[in-house]
Amino acid sequence: MTLTEELLIARGELENNLRNLLGIPVFLIEMDGFALPCGCSGATINIRGLQVDDLEIFEEQILKYLNNAAENLEIEPSFIFARLIPGTSEVASLNIRMLCNRCYMDFARGSGKQPRPDIYILRFDRRT
Amino acid sequence: MKLYVPHVGHLEGLEELLAGSNDIYAVYMAGSPDHVGTGRTNLSAPKLEDIAIQTEYAHEKGVKLEVILNSSCMGGQHLSPEGYRMINWYFDKLNNIGIDSITVADPYLVEMLARDYEMEVVVSVLSFVDSPQKAEFYEQLGADTIVVDSAVNRHFDKLEAIKESTSCNLKLLVNEGCLYQCPFRYAHFNFFSHANGPGPKPNVVDDYYYYKCLSFRIRNPELILKSPWIRPEDIKEYKHITDTFKIGGRTHFVNWILNLVNAYANESYEGNLMDLLDCPKDLKDLFYISNKELEGALSQWKQCEKVCSRCGYCKRLADKVTQVYSTEGTEEFLIQLSCIGE
Repeated sequence: MTLTEELLIARGELENNLRNLLGIPVFLIEMDGFALPCGCSGATINIRGLQVDDLEIFEEQILKYLNNAAENLEIEPSFIFARLIPGTSEVASLNIRMLCNRCYMDFARGSGKQPRPDIYILRFDRRT
Repeated sequence: MKLYVPHVGHLEGLEELLAGSNDIYAVYMAGSPDHVGTGRTNLSAPKLEDIAIQTEYAHEKGVKLEVILNSSCMGGQHLSPEGYRMINWYFDKLNNIGIDSITVADPYLVEMLARDYEMEVVVSVLSFVDSPQKAEFYEQLGADTIVVDSAVNRHFDKLEAIKESTSCNLKLLVNEGCLYQCPFRYAHFNFFSHANGPGPKPNVVDDYYYYKCLSFRIRNPELILKSPWIRPEDIKEYKHITDTFKIGGRTHFVNWILNLVNAYANESYEGNLMDLLDCPKDLKDLFYISNKELEGALSQWKQCEKVCSRCGYCKRLADKVTQVYSTEGTEEFLIQLSCIGE
């Protein structure tokens, strides 16, 4: 299976899971695999219709779905977060990211679920 | 029927558009964002020479050309001496090119154009003319044509009152998918006007208004039905108001525009209502609403008091006619809205 086919399948599966969970037709508008110059890589899922309340209430289930998606895409799910529109209830994207050493340090210094107004951390595995 | 049709802004697009239909009365395109800008996103920023070439081409084909400069906010720059001189210079150039009409949203520009130029002065839908009084004001400023605020497209009492109160020509925008009584309407168009105007341009990561607009509809799909679009089949109900209709969609492909021209010229469309709506574009990949299943809905909307908490008609209709695109593997299929989460 090609990378793009895997992305297509993962997008649909995650969308179905979230719809079944929330009972609304949340819309995964785009799922992208990415590789950054710093060494970070992963997947970004732009989403519409998902709100912060949904994350807070169904965090356990949503994290499970994202872990599964990461596994299917062969991405180590050590850092999973939602990007928010700051000051609002809107979730702009869900992100599964394998952090490079430099970016890891940036996030490792922070604490709590919202180290920045635009980030809601669902999973962050600290390195030993 | 006179159909005003969006044009993406370059000659190749215009050639393709005019080759595709004989039902186009006029095309409209944005001007350069360096001078006034527009209240919506554009695919092109045509220079004066591009506009001149395209005007000549449209006229050869017997089609009128309109330039849209409907910025809803210029930050007061147009009121400064420098701003006035720049805009006046640009209007002069457009006038000399021989464009047929020019659409503006700011009342100051309406008066400026009406006093000094022969071009038809069109009041933009972004001037939000939704009452006979506002129409009268614009007529006094010198407007020739008013694109009525689409928010009153289903308020026939207001449309008829506007018609009765002004001698301006009226134009109705048929396929704007904006939320009815949208709370973001002014702020969003002002934001677009700065993003598509002379600058300084805001460095925006996420268009909050657009995301929220999508989110509202995803969570309440009946809002799509409440938007004041006009189905091609319902054009006949508006012919006592006007014979001039405008299709929105400057950022769409030519084949999308031609599909709409055919639908509105023939006053019939078999397919997804979402295909017809200018915005929000993204939702056409989420919802399927059979246009033909909406037959008769206008009769309800014509007599509707617009108190949704008392009525519930649109909610019931949405539950009945809305289907949602879903996928299994790489296969796409439709499921009924009410089946989501079951």
